[in-house]
Parts: sequence; C-alpha cells; structure tokens
Amino acid sequence: MVERSRTVRTIGCGAGFAGDRVDPAVAIAASGLADAVALECLAERTLVPGLRARKSDPAAGADPRLRRRLKPLLPAAGANGCRVISNLGAANPAAAVRQIAALAGEIGCKACVAGVVGDDVLTKKDQIDWQTPITGQLLGAHAYLGCEPIVEAIARGADIVVTGRTADSALFSAEVVPILNNHPNALAGATTVGHLLECSGQITGGNFNPIGKAALSAADYAQLGFPLATVHPDGSAEIFLLDGKPGIVDVLNCTLQLLYEVHDPSSYVTPDVIIDFTGVTFEQVGPNRVRVAGARSRGRPARLKVSGFVDMPGFIADAEIGFAGIGATHRGELAADALRMRLRDIPEEDIRVDLVGVNSILGDAAIASSAPPAEVRVHVSARCADAEMAQIVEDEVIALTLSGPAGGGSIRSERRPRLDVVDGFIDRDLVATELVWESLP
Amino acid sequence: MRVGDIAVGRSGDKGSTLDLTLVAGDEESYRLIERSVTESAASAALAKAMPGTVTRYAIPGLRALKFVIVGALPGGVYASLHAGLHWQKAAIAVLLDLPVDASAPKD
Repeated sequence: MVERSRTVRTIGCGAGFAGDRVDPAVAIAASGLADAVALECLAERTLVPGLRARKSDPAAGADPRLRRRLKPLLPAAGANGCRVISNLGAANPAAAVRQIAALAGEIGCKACVAGVVGDDVLTKKDQIDWQTPITGQLLGAHAYLGCEPIVEAIARGADIVVTGRTADSALFSAEVVPILNNHPNALAGATTVGHLLECSGQITGGNFNPIGKAALSAADYAQLGFPLATVHPDGSAEIFLLDGKPGIVDVLNCTLQLLYEVHDPSSYVTPDVIIDFTGVTFEQVGPNRVRVAGARSRGRPARLKVSGFVDMPGFIADAEIGFAGIGATHRGELAADALRMRLRDIPEEDIRVDLVGVNSILGDAAIASSAPPAEVRVHVSARCADAEMAQIVEDEVIALTLSGPAGGGSIRSERRPRLDVVDGFIDRDLVATELVWESLP
Repeated sequence: MRVGDIAVGRSGDKGSTLDLTLVAGDEESYRLIERSVTESAASAALAKAMPGTVTRYAIPGLRALKFVIVGALPGGVYASLHAGLHWQKAAIAVLLDLPVDASAPKD
C-alpha cells in the first residue's frame, strides 16, 4: 500500500451518474493514492423506481446496479485502505447496507458498513415549503443531506458509507472534513472540490472541446480516467488524473465544471455551506494537474432543499420513423405534416413533431445545413392521458410505412411514465438523520 | 469567427432552469465574447429554442459568462417533449455558434 499523508486527504470520483462506467473507480482504488472514492449514482430516474419498488417490498429500493458496481470495487478498496462513499442507497439506504455486507462476506472482504437514513421526509410533506403546487400523487419527498452524517460514520470507523439523497458534493467533502482548519472558507473549498469532482469525466476531458490543443481520440474517450483531488487543510486542492490515464485536466474544463449547473456564481447553495465562486482561481501546476483555491463561505443555509416526486397520470409517447436517400428531408417533412394532421386532436402544448437530423434538439434555433442530411427521422412526442392514447400515437407513426411517403422505416418508440419533480425547502431542524450499521469481523 | 472558436461551453439544468456557461481561452477572447454575447444577443438566440428570460452573470476573474433561464424546461427534464431525454445538454450549441464581432472597439 502507498504511504499516504496525514495532513492532506486524497479523494477520487468513481461515478458521476447512476449508469456511469464501473472500471474507473476500481483503477482509483487500486492506485493506492486515494483515501476515499466517492460514487455519485443517484438521479430522479434512479430514486423513483426505487420508491415504487419499496412500496411492494420493504427490502427493495436500493440502487439495482449496486452489486455490479461494488463487486469489482470492494476488493481493490479493501486492499488499499480506500473508503467507499456513495448514494447507492437510493430509496432504501438501510437495505443497501445489508446488501453490501452480504456482498462483502460473499467475496471475502472485511468491511464495516454504515448507512445514512433520514433523507426521506415524505411524512413531513405538510411542513415543506413547496415552490410550485403539487397537482398529482406525491410519490416521495427527499431532502438533500449534508456531509455531517457521513463524517460521523467515518469517525466511528466505517469503511463503506452508503446514503440516500445527499448533496453530491458532500459525498466527497465528508472524507476531507476531519483535516480542515476552522476557517469557514476551508469547508467552502472542500465542498467546491466535491462539486468539481461529482460529474466524473466532465472534468477530465469528457463533454469538452479543448482550445489550442489536440482533442481526445476515440480510444481516449473509451478509457477516460476519472478525477482525483488532494485537498489541503485550507480547502485548496490539486485536481489530477492517475498517471497513464487518458484525459485532459486544464483550467478551461475545471472552470466549466465549477460553473456547471450553478445559477448565481456568487451564491451556490449546498446543505453545508453557501459558496461564492467568483474569487476561485485555477492554476495549471503540472501535466493534467490543476490547483484550485479561493472559494469563499457565505454561511450555512437555514433550510435544506427537498425534491418531491409527483406521479402524473398517463405517459409521454416518443416515436420515430426514418427516411433515407435523395429527398429524405422532403419526404420526412411530408410525413411530419401528415402526422400532425392525424394527431390534430392533441392540444398543441402536448405534442411536438420535428425531424431528427434537422431540428429535433434546438428547434427553431437550429442553423440549417447547406447540404441536406443523407437520412432523417421524423420524431413525435406527445403527452398522453392513458396507455390507449399512447398506443394511438405509436400506431400512427407505424401507419406511415403503409400510408405515408415512400421508403419510411427504421421505426422505434418508447413510452415514459410522467413524472414531475417539484422543489421545496424544509427547516434543517426538522430533518433527523441516523446511522445504521453492519460490521463484518 | 464564432464563439466556439475562442471559448468552451457546457449546458446543464436544475429543475426547470437551464444554465449555460462560456469560458474564454484568454483575456482578449473574454473581452470579445463579453461584448458579443450580451444578455439580449443570448436571449434572441435562445428564445427560438425555449421559453423563459435570460439572466447573464459575468465572472471576469474566471473569464466566464453564465446564462441562466428560469422556466426554460417547463415541468423539468422528464416532462420534455423532445426526442429522448436531456436535450438541454446539447443546448450550448446555440451560444457556441453565435458570431463574434471582432471589430468591436477595445477599451
């Protein structure tokens, strides 16, 4: 095992979304450089199926990818003294603790597993200050927890900490909190580092077009390294890649990630600290190594953000039919117009018809290409009150193969349940957390 | 010259709010995008793709511009009628393809 410093902490990002790649986390743990690897795996699309599953089975509701992700990771983490921190608990962190303990036993890993419970605030729904009225059935309400329960679990000896809804940045900052100095900007800095790391490859060259240097190759994207950071007691840090891993860590992509999904840059609200990013500085201090400093604390928010998940009746039907060859765009436009006529009973605000390859992403903001695309796909999405209406929309697309312009084919469709995510706020004092444990000798 | 020749960009979302970030490659480029991609220029371009009012934040210390559009994604990302999910992650193309007025006077 690599000898690690006691005065700094090194944390790595092992996942930036529920379906993220599994192997980069294993590489970080196996490097011996990381005190902890944090895996951010919880989006609404993960939490909501978990809530539905938990209704019929009290032992269900943890992330269904938990086993696939942790089976290769736990041995590497255990052998290198690398803690694993994740929100894989999804809708049922207590169940996740039991599943992880069982998995660890099965593969012969000794691990003390802790779970953070208490983000589920559905029973307090009337004490939540909802920002928009709730019109459907409230399936769940989850507060974004801060780092404190994870810090406590670490202090009590947890090798693996699993949570439900927790601020993404807290999964990272928790490992660093014990070495921070008492200045409020230190926690702001550590939380900023968490925010920088939480989207995995987005700070190591993914979703990024460099200026003035070579773009990454397909092989680089296929093997992109995930980021690590060594954090100092004042909350400053160096963001870096493991040696030999492809990627780009430079000032430009660090700056993009700092401001990603941030609104007012002088007031980024997390459960632990409100951060002013406007004085943050980045400095390239080595190849794929950037130093970050200068985040300032603006205090701790009195309330925690809550996401409410509202089951809406019906579905969104999303279907396409393709056209190829000379005149594909013209035939596609004819098909789109025919589809609009067939589905004219659907209110205008509940239907969208466009051409994939022409304007399906940016709509009227799309800049027309001088060369027509070789292929186009006619796309329709419609908000449908029930399954029968969704079926009608899907059938109307297929009907174009027989009764529409020439050469329509390559049909696909998907039917998504309707889900509204509603923001709210709850007084911090109303959210009580506790730790649940499974320890293997 | 387009914005994407001298700046990098990324778009994301929280709830029904869309946010777009531009970061310039150097000081001169920052001055150019700061003058070219005004709040009204960004509004005019983005209004063709989404509802909502654009607010611009300039962060000169980071050579960055931030554009925030509350209500651009009505009902949040899962209520979208675009093909598939997360079209908003591609929305940055609207700003990257805007022209840069390189003839603008220097300070």
